[in-house]
Formats: sequence, structure tokens, C-alpha cells
Amino acid sequence: MRILLAEDDLLLGDGLRAGLRQHGFQVDWVRDGAAAERELRAEPYAAAVLDLGLPLMDGLAVLASVRRAGVTLPVLVLTARDTVPDRVRGLDGGADDYVVKPVDLDELAARLRALVRRSHGQPQDRLAAQGVVLDPAARTVAQAGAVVALSAREFDLLHVLMLNAGRVLSREQIEQHLYSWGQEVESNAVEVHVHNLRRKLGPALIHTVRGVGYTLQREATAP
Amino acid sequence: MTGRAASLQARLLLLVLGVVTAVWLAAAARTWFDVRHELGELLDGHLAQAAALLVVQQAQVPEDGDGDRGVDAPTLHRYAPKVAFQVFHEGRLALRSANAPATPMVGTGRGHESGFSTVQIDGTAWRVFATFGAERDVQVHVGEQESSRAAILRAVLRNTLLPLAVALPLLAWAAWWAVKRGVAPLRRLGTLLAARQPRALEPVRVDDAPAEMQPLVEALNGLLERTAVLMEAERRFTADAAHELRTPLAAIRTQAQVALAETADAPRRHALQSVLAGCDRAARLVDQLLTLSRLEAGTASAPGRADLAAVARSVVADLAPQALAKGQTIELEAAAPCPVQADATLLAVLVRNLVDNAIRYSPPAAAVKLILASMGAGASLQVADSGPGLAEPELQRLGERFFRVLGSGEAGSGLGWSIVRRIAAVQGAQVAVARSAALGGLEVTVEWPPLVEAR
Repeated sequence: MRILLAEDDLLLGDGLRAGLRQHGFQVDWVRDGAAAERELRAEPYAAAVLDLGLPLMDGLAVLASVRRAGVTLPVLVLTARDTVPDRVRGLDGGADDYVVKPVDLDELAARLRALVRRSHGQPQDRLAAQGVVLDPAARTVAQAGAVVALSAREFDLLHVLMLNAGRVLSREQIEQHLYSWGQEVESNAVEVHVHNLRRKLGPALIHTVRGVGYTLQREATAP
Repeated sequence: MTGRAASLQARLLLLVLGVVTAVWLAAAARTWFDVRHELGELLDGHLAQAAALLVVQQAQVPEDGDGDRGVDAPTLHRYAPKVAFQVFHEGRLALRSANAPATPMVGTGRGHESGFSTVQIDGTAWRVFATFGAERDVQVHVGEQESSRAAILRAVLRNTLLPLAVALPLLAWAAWWAVKRGVAPLRRLGTLLAARQPRALEPVRVDDAPAEMQPLVEALNGLLERTAVLMEAERRFTADAAHELRTPLAAIRTQAQVALAETADAPRRHALQSVLAGCDRAARLVDQLLTLSRLEAGTASAPGRADLAAVARSVVADLAPQALAKGQTIELEAAAPCPVQADATLLAVLVRNLVDNAIRYSPPAAAVKLILASMGAGASLQVADSGPGLAEPELQRLGERFFRVLGSGEAGSGLGWSIVRRIAAVQGAQVAVARSAALGGLEVTVEWPPLVEAR
């Protein structure tokens, strides 16, 4: 899952990027408000972690600007401003969550997962489709009660498809969701991962819509 | 305050009553002396007058050769027993009052006694006037008991002092009441202050405060105002400091958590080194915050005289390794001693912050140059670098607390500038920031005012 991290402090930004990667997120890190605004408008991030005291453009201004532009992704504000008026301003200004520094990495990751899940209309942490259950927190996939071993990329691909169940995603869209900056994307990487998933979980799970992309059927009833 | 403080009311009361009593007693003493003197003169005059009458009368009495005729002088007044007279004729007692002794009250009765004297007769003190007739050898003594004079004096004294005895308690009560009313505003001020919450720092208002109390109330309000300003600065500072410490702490915590969860060696080392760097940064930030806090609280040491050249040399020597590690060149151009009116420690903090900033925010291989100059009696320090410098809006924001320049790649707190400006303000120095004409980077000029001649 790809998220944007906007933090101007070098040590903290570096730590957050490393920590969130450990939790399975693909992290793009920007260090000023203008870059954050630009990236949020351009790229389909699953969520954003936004510091408020950013150079060039304050975090709240970034938030207001992207919300005006119709960007609906969940935004978690991570800041040192801890007063109640600050929190109120942040949440009213378009933030979906407001966390005061310092924060526990596990908690930050859990909050991000919850934000992403809710933004996709999923009330539960676990995602399920056709007997396949995906646990984003534990990063495990089970089929008929048995754990299926997936690579990190395969897991992320399945996660994206399950979150967007019922929608067709193009190869480019999937790549944008899976890869952060600087990561080399092989031209047929998505096809290879889809192939592997079908091999491990059965051919009926993922449908190919010829000329458009891939989709995963929405579950009629929750398991 | 130690011990029991004397009450102002009691003190005023004692003073008023003491002074009144003393004045009254002095007046009584004066009266007593005056009365005694006047009374003495008057009564002595009467004695002399009586004696003169007796001498004249005796001169007209025909010579009949009779002996002592002296027991017939009538007692006509209740005071009469206290007055006595004797008339001697050629040494013989010719006439005397009933209470007069047969023997002469003064001398022999034959001699020529004259004038006043005080004698003891049968254990009683008498004031006696003696005189004699010129022709017929008449000796006259007129005496009066001293005790009668004392009785009159006592009566006078009693009449003077008695009203005081009656008036004093009344006066005491009146004075107590008046003083109590007089110090009432003070008492109210005390009650007002005692009832205050420690954080209530609005001015005190005593509506009917007398003119004497105004300076006190004004001084108190001045103090309250200064305290309020100080507390506000302190509060803001604490809030800022807490806010600013959160980010380094968050970084340390995050990096530590990353290190804990990391299994690969290289990323774990990187995270742990970041933890250390974060701790160093937090420590430096705390140092800076404390320096700034001391400066703002005004507890920094009093200004003395320091040699700017020596201070700059020592700071550059300290920081040169840091510059050399980045491949930068650093040089100091200092004329002979450059005395300024400043505390040496603070001066060193100021110079250190300037040089540290220049090294920190200039890229590797940059040049940092310090130029010292004496201008008239004052001095100036110029710190220039060949770094990227600052754009106009950034130049203007420099010195705002916690303002950091973007993209510096350095983990500064933005407090160094606040410290520089604060110290300069304390030392009466001017700070100017501009683009360096020679090196192209930032150029900071600090100018100290001329030395004040030693008194």
C-alpha cells in the first residue's frame, strides 16, 4: 500500500519511512508543503501522513488545497501541535486522524490501515473474497483456513485488488499503488504477480478484463 | 519578615499619646515653676508690707513703759494661725501674735536683722521677713509657715494635672479611632492581596488610597505588571520548548522502534546511529533553550569588559575542526585587542552561534571568514560565508524563534538566531544580515557601541 509522508525533519522522516516500510507500506517522502500538495494531487496514494509545520506551505494549507481539488484520500496529521484548538482545526480542516508526536510506529501503522480500510468502505480489518481471507495487520492470506505463503508484492497486489473489489484496475493503476519512487518496475511485473496469485489461490479469483485490466469480484455476503 | 512586626496602628497611637502626655507634663512643670516663683514674690511682698505696717504703727505707739503686750493680736482668718509676727522694742518683745514664739524668730531681737530667711521653729519651716525702724530701735519679724505656700502650689498643680488624667483615656480612644480610620486603606490593601490567587496579576485598586499610599500601590502594580510579562514569556517559552522537543523525541522513538524491528544489519545500524544523532540534537536543543531562557529571564551575568578578538580566536579554534571535517576553510582577521562592553561568556555564545551557523549551513569546501574591526571606540564583527545565502523573505524571518531555512539538510532548531539577537540586545549591539559581497553567501555584521569610560 503506497502512502505519502510529508515531514521536514530529516531524522524523523527517515525513521518513519523505514518504520512504515517494515509494516508493509510503500512510502514516498516529501519534505515541504509544496511538494506534498503536488504529489497528493498527482498520485493515487492510499493515505498520507502530513506534518503541519512544513516549510514553503503549511500542512493545513496543503490539506485545504487538496480537499478543494477533490482529493479524498485519508490524511493522518502527525504534528507537535497538541492543543485542543489545534486538533479541532486539523480535523475540521480535512484531516481524517490527528496524532501528536511522538507516536508509536505500530499504532501509526494500525491507524493508517484503519483509515485506508474505511476509505474503501470496509468495516472490518480482514478482507475476504471467495474463500480467501486477507489480514492486513498480520500481512497473511488464508484460503479455506490454511495460510498461503505470498511474496510481499503478491500480498500487496492482492490487497489492492481486494480493497477495490468490484472495480477494474488498469496495469498502470496497480503499478502506481504498488511501487514507491525509485523502484524499478519490470514491464510485465504485474502479469507475473497475477500469474503467481492464480497459481497459489486458484484461477477463478482474479479476472482479466481484456484490454482494460484486472478485477476481483465483490463478495455478495460477508464471511 | 522575622519576629513580631510592630503594628503601625499601635505605633501611631503610642506616639500621639506619648507626645500629648509629654507636652502636658512639660506645661504642668512650667506652670509649677512659674506659680511658685510668682507666689513666692507675692507672699513675700505681703510679708514685707505687713512688716512695714508694724514698724510704722510701732513708731506711733506712745512710750508707756509696759512690758510684754504681745498676746492680743486677734485671729481674724483661718489662715491667721499660719502667719505670725513679733515686734521688739529695744530688744524687748513689745508685741506678738498668739502663735508667735516668745523668743525672736530670727537673730536676737536686738540686732538689726533685715531681709528674708527660712527658719525652723518647733519643727515647722517658716518664711520670715525681718526689718527695723530707723529711729526707735524697733525690730519687727513677720513669719509665715512654708507649708501654706506648698499647699497652694499643690492645689495649682492638681488643677493643672487633673484634667489630663481625665482627658487621657478619652484622647487615647479618640486617637485609636482616628488612627484606625487613617490606616483603613492599608488594611484593605492587605486583605485584598491576601485574598489573591497567585496567578491573579491584574493591577490592585484601592479606591480611597491616600496620597502617601499611591507610590506603594503604584510600585506594587508595576511589580505585578512586570511579573505578568515575565510569566507570559515563561509560559510561551515552555510551550515553544515542549513543542520543539517533540519532534526530536519522536525521531528518537521512531528510529529506536525501527532498529528493534529490523533484522538486517545495515538498516539496524543506520537506525541506531540515527537514534544517537537524535539524542545529540535533543541535547543541543535543550542547551540552547536553557541559554535563551536565562537570557530572557535576565539572570545572565552582569556585563563586564571583554576582548572580542580573544573571544573570536578561541571560538574559531574550537570550531575549526568542524569546518575542516567538511573541507571548509575558516579564517579570522583580527586587529589587535578589541575591547567591548560585554560579558565574555555571553560574547562567546554569540560568536559561537554565528560561526556554527556559517559552518553548518554552508556546503562542503565553502569558505567562512571572520573580520574584526574597531570603529571609533566601538567594535564590529563580520561573519561571512560562501554558502547559498538567504533569499529576501528568509532574511526577514531570520531570528523568529524556531524558524529554519528549508533544504539546509541540517538538523537545526532555529534557536541559534534567537540567542544571537537576544545577546546582542543585552549588550546594546546591532545585528545586520545581508548577502556577502566578497564570498556570495550570508554575511552577518554585529556592531557594539563605544566603550563607556571607566568611572
